[in-house]
Amino acid sequence: MGAPFDYTYIFSYFPKLLSTLGITLLIVAGSLLVGIIIGFLIALPRLYRIPVLNTLARVYVSFFRGTPILIQLFLFYYGLPEILKLVHIDISKAPVLVFVILTYGLHTGAFMSETIRASVTAVDRGQVEAAYAMGMKGHQAFTRIVLPQALAIAVPVFSNLVIALLKDTSLAFTLGVMEMTGKAETLGALTQHFVEAYISLALIYLVVSFTLEKLLLMAERRLLRHEQPDSTGNRRFRLQRKRGYRRLVAGIESGKGGAEA
Amino acid sequence: MKIDPSFIWTALVQLLSAIPTTLVITAVSVTAGFVIGLITALLRIYKVPVLGQIATGYVTFIRGTPMLTHLLLIYFGLPMLLDALSAQFGWGFKSSSIPMIGFAFISFSITAGAYMAEVIRSGLLAVNRGQLEAAYSVGMTTPQALRRIVFPQALAVSLPNLSNSVIGMLHGSTLAFTVSVVEINAKAQIVASTNWKFFEAYLAAAVIFWGLTLLIERITAVIEKRINLYNRGGVA
Repeated sequence: MGAPFDYTYIFSYFPKLLSTLGITLLIVAGSLLVGIIIGFLIALPRLYRIPVLNTLARVYVSFFRGTPILIQLFLFYYGLPEILKLVHIDISKAPVLVFVILTYGLHTGAFMSETIRASVTAVDRGQVEAAYAMGMKGHQAFTRIVLPQALAIAVPVFSNLVIALLKDTSLAFTLGVMEMTGKAETLGALTQHFVEAYISLALIYLVVSFTLEKLLLMAERRLLRHEQPDSTGNRRFRLQRKRGYRRLVAGIESGKGGAEA
Repeated sequence: MKIDPSFIWTALVQLLSAIPTTLVITAVSVTAGFVIGLITALLRIYKVPVLGQIATGYVTFIRGTPMLTHLLLIYFGLPMLLDALSAQFGWGFKSSSIPMIGFAFISFSITAGAYMAEVIRSGLLAVNRGQLEAAYSVGMTTPQALRRIVFPQALAVSLPNLSNSVIGMLHGSTLAFTVSVVEINAKAQIVASTNWKFFEAYLAAAVIFWGLTLLIERITAVIEKRINLYNRGGVA
């Protein structure tokens, strides 16, 4: 199968694959944006326990966490135009990238909503009460007190989500999007040097996810600067006791483990 | 192309035949992954000189790259390696004798191993150090203490994460279609393209996966209740 192994190809593939890194990152950024918006929309009914919407949100999250992203990709790619045809909207001409970003966005939104929900509930109840005691209004207490703390709690999980999303984008080639994996496939088929192409691909993914992780770690440090220096230890301890939250962190960390990442 | 609701049911019935393949892939990769993960986690916790660093590198590499690349690397790389070796040593072994599903098994086990390693490691570290010390003080050896005291508690702690890994591998098994293993996703593709009803077929596949996932979550909840019995009514 293929031509004999030649490691020089690994290096010559780097620039070729990097030329498609933009599309991979575009998918990541686009779906993150969609995901954050949807995550908020889904998390709010669950946080405020709005009757019907709460149930709908739960079903939404359960569906997107309960089915593989690959199936979701195909489902939306083939299903959405048909459903929209029923209401006489024709999107069969829309570029594939739109479907891909939308699907990843909806998928990420489900995980994001859980992250948001858990981080907001993880903020100590006394904080809100103290804010009220100081005379703040509901939204003031939220934006000034709850949000900054919730953000700091959410960052590690968020960082895992972003990296999982980056790895998930490798599936977009199944719909024919020319992102990095698709490019590697083509390069391999063209020259029959499959292994070299995939090694080079893996190395690029590794570097990108490593960079993203480091960047988000910096963000976390910055958001946590109001805590005491030994806070990470304390925080971890508290999370261990809050079972709901620990489960959630777990859920997102390794639930997005497999392919799935 | 019109949506045909009755075909969803037809597709569902046809997809049932592919469920065992998906479950076998999941089961094999999770089991092998657990063993690999346990070894890797222990190597990292005990900071075994060279092997510990290799274990860390393995976990970093696997967790930093998509599962698809592992599968493709194994699928294209392993036969090359094996054929080169067998030509070198004259084993008379041909890589083409490896069934397709074998590549899925190997690659997914490697993937699962790295994720499991992190799950197991965090579970082991979550067990109070005093437990191990208490075990030593009543005269247990390290393997005894690990097996009797640490592992059961670590298992209870890491059960939610383990269940998530299992679900992750279940969902990951859909990638096996790239090496032409007919599991649920590939079957859905076949059913879809022979009947030209893509949406219905994938909807059926999604329903099956959803059901399987909920089932795993349910089972985990039952096991978790059972395994956490010892922990009832503490103060911490």
